[in-house]
Order: sequence, then C-alpha cells, then structure tokens
Amino acid sequence: MKHRYWALLLLLPFILFFAVFQLVPLAWIMVASFVTVDGEWGLSNYRDVLDSPFYLQAIRYSLEISLWSSLLGLAIAVIGVQSLRQVDSRLRDMVISFTNMTSNFAGVPLAFAFIILLGFNGTLTLLLKQLGVIEDFNLYTKGGLILIYTYFQIPLGVLLLYPAFDALRDDWRESAALLGAGPLRYWRHIALPVLTPALLGTFVILLANALGAYATVYALTTGNFNVVPVRIAALVAGDIYLDPNLASALAMLLVALMAVITVVHQWLLKRSYHGKG
Amino acid sequence: MSFLNVERLHKRYGANPVFSEIDFSASRGELVTLLGPSGCGKSTLLRCLAGLTPIDGGRIMLDGEEISNVAPQRRGIAMVFQSYALFPNMTVRDNVAFGLRMQRTRKDELERRVTEVLALVELDGLEARYPHQLSGGQRQRVALARSLVVRPRLLLLDEPLSALDARIRRHLREQIRRIQRELELTMVFVTHDQEEALSLSDRIVLMREGKIVQNGSAETLYTAPKDAFVAGFIGHYNLLDADVAGRLLDRSFSNRVAIRPESIQLDASQGIAGEIVDHSLLGNVIRYRVKARGVELSVDVLNRSASSLLAPGSQVRLAIAEESIREVA
Amino acid sequence: MARASMYHRLVVWLLLLVLVLPLAATLLYSLATQWSASLLPAGLTFDWYLRLWSEPRFLAAFGRSLLVCAGALAFACLLVLPAMFVIAYHFPRLDAVMNVLILLPFAVPPVVSSVGLLQLFAGGPLALVGTPWILIGCYFTIALPFLYRALTNNLQAIELRDLMDAAHLLGASTFRAALSVVLPNLRKGLVVAVLLSFSFLIGEFVFANLLVGTRYETLQVYLNNMRNGSGHFTSALVISYFMVVLLVTWAANRLNRDPSSS
Repeated sequence: MKHRYWALLLLLPFILFFAVFQLVPLAWIMVASFVTVDGEWGLSNYRDVLDSPFYLQAIRYSLEISLWSSLLGLAIAVIGVQSLRQVDSRLRDMVISFTNMTSNFAGVPLAFAFIILLGFNGTLTLLLKQLGVIEDFNLYTKGGLILIYTYFQIPLGVLLLYPAFDALRDDWRESAALLGAGPLRYWRHIALPVLTPALLGTFVILLANALGAYATVYALTTGNFNVVPVRIAALVAGDIYLDPNLASALAMLLVALMAVITVVHQWLLKRSYHGKG
Repeated sequence: MSFLNVERLHKRYGANPVFSEIDFSASRGELVTLLGPSGCGKSTLLRCLAGLTPIDGGRIMLDGEEISNVAPQRRGIAMVFQSYALFPNMTVRDNVAFGLRMQRTRKDELERRVTEVLALVELDGLEARYPHQLSGGQRQRVALARSLVVRPRLLLLDEPLSALDARIRRHLREQIRRIQRELELTMVFVTHDQEEALSLSDRIVLMREGKIVQNGSAETLYTAPKDAFVAGFIGHYNLLDADVAGRLLDRSFSNRVAIRPESIQLDASQGIAGEIVDHSLLGNVIRYRVKARGVELSVDVLNRSASSLLAPGSQVRLAIAEESIREVA
Repeated sequence: MARASMYHRLVVWLLLLVLVLPLAATLLYSLATQWSASLLPAGLTFDWYLRLWSEPRFLAAFGRSLLVCAGALAFACLLVLPAMFVIAYHFPRLDAVMNVLILLPFAVPPVVSSVGLLQLFAGGPLALVGTPWILIGCYFTIALPFLYRALTNNLQAIELRDLMDAAHLLGASTFRAALSVVLPNLRKGLVVAVLLSFSFLIGEFVFANLLVGTRYETLQVYLNNMRNGSGHFTSALVISYFMVVLLVTWAANRLNRDPSSS
C-alpha cells in the first residue's frame, strides 16, 4: 500500500497554507503576548491589561454587550422558531429563506442601515419621537450596541435552532396533553430538557460571535466605543499608538474567554440528560 | 488443478485473525457459495479474492496463474457489491459501459456488447435512467450487467440479494443461476442465507469464525452435516445430547445426534409412542412439536388438508428411519 | 386552536418585520430625493443608483472584491478537494483531526488573527500585507470550514469505498476513478457551497480593512470610507451589495432544491 503515502503528499499544500494563514499567526500571538517591551519573557503585557481601568472597561463592555445580545437573540429566536414550526409551509419557507439572507447582513452595511433607521435623524427615531413614544434615542451607546448586536444574532439563532426543534415530536405534545399537561408544563418538563443542549450550543456560538465582532461596532462608532476587538485593532492598526505585544495579550485574553465559555458549555452538556447516555 | 485455487489464505486485522487456513477451489463454470453467519470473514475473503483487501499469507491461483499480488484492475475478476455501488452520476448504459471504456473497447463493439448484456438481464428500455430512478431489483441487475459485460474470468457476488424482498430475491436467484449456466461462468457467491445457498450452489463452503467448517455439495451439507454447527446452520435439525438420544432410541450414543424433522414419521403402525404438544404452519409444511419418552422433537409433515391436522394431545407413533439418524461432533 | 394559530402567525410576521425593517428603511432612503425630519421622503428617484453605478471608484472596488473572492474560492477548492478525498479514502481517521482544525477559523475571530498576520507578513520575504494575496489566503481559511463540511456531507451520501472499489475492478486507476466517479457526484454540492461561501466572503470587512485597507480597496472598505458622504448614496451602495448577496444565495437555494440537476 505504498500509494497511500503518496496520497499524503496531496495533503501537504493544504496543510502548508492552513498553517501559514491560521496556525502560525495564532502561535505568533501566543508567543508575543509573553514578550515584554524590552524583549524579555514575562507577564507584563497581561499585567498591563489587567491593571488598566481602560482595558478592564473594554472587557466589561464586551461581556455585557455579548451576554445581553446573545440572551435576547436566543429568546427571540426560540419564540420565533417555535411559531415558525406552527405556520403554513409557504410563510415558513419564505421567512427561513429571508433569514438565511439576512444572516449575511452584518458589519458595515448593517451599521449604516441602523444609522438610517435609528441614528439621531433616523427614520424610526423621528417617527417614535413624533408619536411621543421616546424622548430621544442614542444608537451610539451600550444600549444601542446591544440592540444592533441582537439584530444580527436573531437570524443566526433561528438558523441554528430551527433544525434542533425537529427533535420535538408532535405526538409528545399530544400524549402530554392526554396525560393532563398543559402547554406550559409540556415546555417545562419535556420540550426544554430535550432542547437544552441545542439552546446551550446556540448560546455559546452567539456569545462567541458577539465577543469577536468588530466590523459592526467599528463602522457604527468609527472605533470610538470601548470593546475588546476595537482595542486590539487600535493597538496593531491605529494611528496613535502601536503595541502588537499588548494587542497579543488582549487577543489571548479574548480567546481564553471563549475557551472558558466552551468548557462551561461542555460541563453543562454533561450534566443534562443527553450526557448521561 | 482446478480453475480457481485458494491455498492456505489468511488475513488478520492487527492481532485478530479475520480468517486463516482457507483452502478451497472451484472448477470452470462452477458456482461456489461462501456461506456463514455474519462476521465469519466471508465478505473479507471475497474482497481478498478481488484484490481490494491485501492478504497476509497464502496463494490465490486463477487459471494456472498466481494472482495473489496482482492489482485488482488486472485480475480479470468482476464483482457485484452488496450496495451495488452503481455510479449515481451515470445512466444505466454508462454504468454498464464503464468497464469497456476503461479497456478502450471500440465504439461499435462497446455498443453491441452493452446492448447484448442489457437484454440478457432484461433491462432493455431502461438504458437512459439514472440509478435513483430504478427499483432495488433493477439496480441489482444493472450491477450484474456491469460485471458481466467485461467478460470476467471469475465473478464475485457479495450478498447481492440481501437488500431485496423475498419474492424478487427468488426471481433474481433463478436469473443469476440461468445466466451463470448459459455463460459457463465461474462464480463465488457470498451469502448468510442457507436457503439461498442450497438452491443456488454447485458447492457450498461453510465458514465459521474465520475457518472453513465444511466444504461440499449442497446435498452433502444437507444430508451429512459434519458437526452440530453445520446441522444447525443448514436447515432445521433436532439436536439431541447423547444421553437424551439414547433414552429416545433405546440404545447408546457417544456423540450428539441430529435428526431432520422431515425424516420422522408420525403415523407408523408401530414405533415410539408420543403426544402432540402444538403445531405451527410453515406454508406447505406443518411443524409439530411432539413429546416422546420425555424428549421434545420437531416433526415436519406435508400440509395436505386441514382435516388431517392433529390436535394437541393426539397420540401418535413415531418412526425414525435409520439412515437419518446422524451422530455429529 | 384558531387563537393559537393567530398567535403563531403574528409572531412570525413580527419576526419578519424586525428583520425587514433596517433593509426597508435603507431601500427607501436609497430611493429618496431628500428625507429628513419627516415621516416619509420628499420624493423618489433612481438617481443615487445611477450615480453609484457610474462611479469608477465603486466599480473598481466591486471588481476587486469579485476578484479576491473568486480567487480565494478557486484556491480553496484546489486545496480542499484533493485533501478531502485523500482523507475520506485513505485516512478516514484524520477526519477527526480535520474537524478540530476547521473549528479554528470559527473560534478565532479575524481581529485576533490579524494581530499575528500583520506582524508576520509586514515585511521580509513574505511581505503580503497591503496586497490582495493575503486576503486570498485569509479567505481560504474562512471558507474552509464551510466547504469542508458541505463536501464531506456530500461525500458521505455516496458510498465512496464501494464506488472506488467497483471502478478499480472495472479497470480504472485511482485518479481516473476519483475524476470520473467521485467528482461528478460532488459537483452540485460544490457549486452550492462555493456560492454560499461567496455570499459571506463578499461581506468580509475585518481582514480587508486591517490587512489591506485602501491599498487594494474592496467593496466593504469602500463602503466604510464613504461614511461621511451622502447617506442616500451609501444606502444605494448597501442595497446594491445586498442585492448581489440575495442573487447568489437565491441561486444556491434554487440549485440545492432542484433534484434534476444532480
């Protein structure tokens, strides 16, 4: 079976380019984050980040925006998907197709659309002001960012959750109803436990998606809102002050944050009944 | 020397032997069945014959030529897969023509042979269909045609009928047998179905856990099983321990005894007294459970009419032909 | 029952409304002559689109985006197809390794990768920063997980081993069999995966802005650089971009559902 090893050669270009554009840059960050300004090994970059109220604020904002937008996005997606499965197939297919397309509607174009809709002179802002629903609305705040992040989380949540709802079989609801459980108790005792892994998994993906998002917030605030991705980018491509090593430490903290979330996710998954196979 | 000779073949995965000490042969135009329960190594053996799986030792001789290390493309062997392995992107005609194209057969000859073989397997008219537009039986015949058209020296079939329902299976079985006789093809047929093996084969090679248990004609395996495993695998046997058989037949045995249910008579004028326990209907045969001298036996009787059915509790007299009592290891 | 179905329809329509709203507002804005401090625009015009599609800088940026995305996808196919075949046929155990590897482009945000890429390729023998080549490399990694998963799903749908064995026995070499038996069965899945990858690659901004910026201005970077210009003009740009995405995803969905083209 000598030709098996010739076949390995076909893997080489793939491995090479994947390494060059994915693995090596990541390794570089890992190493660089432990190199101090004087070129020595040390933890000073991490210390700088964790001692700075500015960077701590960025981390806190990143976490807050990501958490809230993921929770809201997930909740809306659950309610939406649950109803989607109950309407006629034409409406359902139309909405699913549209959701598919809007899942690509993020970043710069989305930020511009939101400025037009909800900016200081946004059409919806003006409408709501005239109707007296709101006094004023500022899109360029934490609340505004949570709103726009939630918007791009919804399509992703719907697309990820829709197939998971296949696991819920109609006859479960019917047999639960025959056994005397109303819709609420059906959800509490059957649907939610069955869906838990999918919900957790989706939540984790949404969270990671929000934590790493850069284009939307950058285009919306021209890099003036303090979240971790904006800080990282400013440290390697900003106009004022460049410190790639500090950027690496910040990037590593972001990756570590995601790793922690994944570990917690795995742990929760093991505790659900699916993990007790 | 026969047309196909397999000598001391063995194969293992890691430390586990898949099969070992495999010796059998097939004459030209003979249909040999490799029969055995799933996991006995028969499918792997077939793949080794084709050259798709390398062997770890032994020799394969085909038509006087050693092919043990020849690439599968150059063995002159064709194979029908259990999954049929039809190329989903090609029509029936293109599937069948594939092997001839690989041999760079001239266009007019290719057309002629493809048309011929499609007629042979009764698929004319379906040339332009894709595999997903065919029924299971039709797919099976495309796979057969694709293997036949290259005029292989040896045709291997790996459980080719197992995915089909019983009626189509019987029909295709007869078709395969007819084509095999017509073309005087040498075939090795793998199956786990003893009925299929009995009805189809010139010779049966019965395997168990990687070893050949018995190798002989269908009749031999049926009437003269070498041991309890063969007896149990080929048809239904009453298998009695030596002391139980001794009690029933009033003499002593040193081995277990196998008695075919159809070789016992229920209405003998004199014989062993017994009582019907119950019965089950197997189509043209009724299988009674009979208790005689404290031993329970299966007895098969032709199902002639409803009125002749014996009710539970009926008293019968059993006669067992001497030549049907076989001691087995 | 009727009340329940009313509720579900209401929820779905609300969901649709929320999803449509920003787009609808942008569309209306792009068609408006003027729209400020009033509920509806003063008048409708197609002028902004005419202006956009005759703007050389836009056309150049659009062309560059097409070029980079097409290049990256061609490159990705060239690397992924043989690799995927070799793994599926010769080294099925490596599939588990691949499934971990292809998580990386998902798990590591582009902004993090950019830090390393900027330092590694700023100078020296591989001074790729500021050129389209680095984008082709990066987009290959972004498209990879998607292409690989889509193609292995397609590959699992056919019985690769049996098909290859059958082709071998009928006299085909491994290369010939892969080309004439395996590849044609992946064609449709490949086209769908490439189209869908294209629809998200053309929206990529982070790598384009951080690694290349105005030195090779792509669509998204151009859009961002136009933010101080007329809102109507950028709206026309956003809608035009979305139309391209719409067209591509629509084509992919059509192809995916069409059973006759398999």
